[in-house]
Amino acid sequence: MSLRQIAAIAACKLTKTALRLLRRGGTTLPGRVALKICPDILQRVSRGVRSVVITGTNGKTTTARIVGEMCTQAGQSFISNRSGANLITGITTLFIDNCTLTGRARLSFAVVEADEAASREVCRFIQPEAILLTNLFRDQLDRYGEVTHTRSSVLTAIKNAPNAKVCLNADDSLSVSISCEVSNEILFYGVDVPIYKGEIDEVSDAPFCIRCKHAYEYDYRTYGHLGGFRCPECGYRRPEPQISVTEILELGEASSTVKAQLFGEEDEYIINLPGGYNIYNAVGALSLGEAAGFPREAAKCAVAGFDCGFGRMERFELGKTTARMLLVKNPAGCNQALNYLSGLTDETLFVCCLNDNFADGTDISWIWDANFELLARQIDLLPAVFVAGERRADMALRLKYAGLPTEKLQIFDDYDALIDAMAQQDKPVVIMPTYTAMMDLREKMSARFGGGAFWE
Amino acid sequence: MKLKICHLYPDVLNLYGDTGNIACLARRLAWRGLSCEVSQFKIGDTPDFSDFDLFFVGGGQDFEQEVLLESLNRGAARELISAIEDERVVLAICGGYQMLGQYYETYTGSQIDFIGALDLYTVGSEQRMIGNCMSRCTPDSSGAELVGFENHSGRTFLGANLAPLATVISGFGNNGQDKTEGARYKNVFGSYYHGPMLPKNPRFADFLLETALRRKYPDAELAPLEDELESAAHEYMSNRLSGR
Repeated sequence: MSLRQIAAIAACKLTKTALRLLRRGGTTLPGRVALKICPDILQRVSRGVRSVVITGTNGKTTTARIVGEMCTQAGQSFISNRSGANLITGITTLFIDNCTLTGRARLSFAVVEADEAASREVCRFIQPEAILLTNLFRDQLDRYGEVTHTRSSVLTAIKNAPNAKVCLNADDSLSVSISCEVSNEILFYGVDVPIYKGEIDEVSDAPFCIRCKHAYEYDYRTYGHLGGFRCPECGYRRPEPQISVTEILELGEASSTVKAQLFGEEDEYIINLPGGYNIYNAVGALSLGEAAGFPREAAKCAVAGFDCGFGRMERFELGKTTARMLLVKNPAGCNQALNYLSGLTDETLFVCCLNDNFADGTDISWIWDANFELLARQIDLLPAVFVAGERRADMALRLKYAGLPTEKLQIFDDYDALIDAMAQQDKPVVIMPTYTAMMDLREKMSARFGGGAFWE
Repeated sequence: MKLKICHLYPDVLNLYGDTGNIACLARRLAWRGLSCEVSQFKIGDTPDFSDFDLFFVGGGQDFEQEVLLESLNRGAARELISAIEDERVVLAICGGYQMLGQYYETYTGSQIDFIGALDLYTVGSEQRMIGNCMSRCTPDSSGAELVGFENHSGRTFLGANLAPLATVISGFGNNGQDKTEGARYKNVFGSYYHGPMLPKNPRFADFLLETALRRKYPDAELAPLEDELESAAHEYMSNRLSGR
């Protein structure tokens, strides 16, 4: 233990206390201060803590919530970066919070959600027991560049933790290709059957074989570029997953029921969030549970009973009605949210909040790659569509092109007026915000109607 | 009156919402009661471009570039060059724009030959040019103000006789040095503007449509449209970038 280490830990804890006193959520700044003082502080404070890391483009937060619930069900106390502060700064704050001034860890298990680029350093420092890669999609291109760059980041992260068991999505050709480049033990998970009825009419983020560049053929597609891919030219194909969903029994408005097999042992699972993408999150979490050695009964209860979090179908009471919030940040995730919305059978007020701050992605052109046209198909169930956020004009224009009649569009210049308008009507509300829009809305809605602060 | 539009390589050049440009061209015709037919030309298709009035080609990822070049070399490049010389309208964005030039020199010094329809070349750089951007088209190319979002690491330089599309007001443009943005050759319009570019630059969108229509119907005129949301999206960025 060095003086530098003590100074870093003390500075981090002090910064956090100061921010709390100022009633600010301190999730990243304290870690930043500590890293400045002692660049390898994360390695030091994570000693003696067993951890699992969840990374990938979409589904990190939800999957981390399921795995957290698995810990609870198994009686394992744990720490987790629940507020989505998933860069090295936020993760450092998490681990320092968990240790004494002398650097001794209190709780001995961590469920860590890591940004794809940050995962390289995080894995190097904390040496997780298991890593789950949810999927690789085109994300905010202003930050990550091409999807193949994101793939390289995650590959480095896995190489940096050679002893970690790695869970890869067998249906994602980009993820699967990582398995041949690392020496880690690999578990594949996937969905063996199509999730939605009918053709999948979405832009594929990976139409060409990553090995030989020939166009893939698909036995079935689940969504995006995910599914039973195979290359007719070089033979690269979806591997047989050890953990997979074998049958979709029901796709409900609040949950899904599926049959899944874990190393050949089949059972029925209820997944406590609707939507095909949450089926992937659940089966990914199940594979991480296997990799980390959780009892299957705990895993099953976790998938059925986890608490959705932080803009992932999160519920808010709003005066006469309730709102559900679905965070969106890229075309694949947005398409899944729109898919969910287009399956609703009750009249629903739809609200879209688009910001272009750094955390949202400064390039908003992805809204044109998302299939908002799905909304036009159920125009009769949309009493109105509310639009707000810094880039509301662009969002409104996109919705005009999607075929929504302009008289149904209402544009709000500030969130207070928006919240008033939502609360003054009685239809259920679905809000699709980008990250900073979600933070702003949560804060204002909590202040008006109650609810937790974001750092809890 | 009817336009036939060809979307080149939507299977590989489909980044940053550029398909919104096709939607914009088609809708702005439809809203005026004019018809149009959009065809897609994909990798592996046999090129025959003689029937089209307007072409659109977007930007893509480096990964698919080889697949694309192979297709171009199998006859698509020749067809596209003859369409260009025949004064058909082409809108080319980012990677699609670079591809019309002579070559791309990577940051490490190797050279990839492109189709050479326009006298320009691109040099890779380590630093990406990313951000919201604004420029003013030359009078020959509508004189309209353009707003968009650029994201490129290639710096493009125009040959001495090739006119730029626009002059940079904010952002990087072709290369971050000479204040030029895009290129104009015959009826080819190249640009780095994503966004997608056309929906929120309705004046420029109409200029492209009018140019394509007049090649076929010399007296064609476009009736004005109610562009309230279009103008709001344009004005928002224009005001933000000029600090208003």
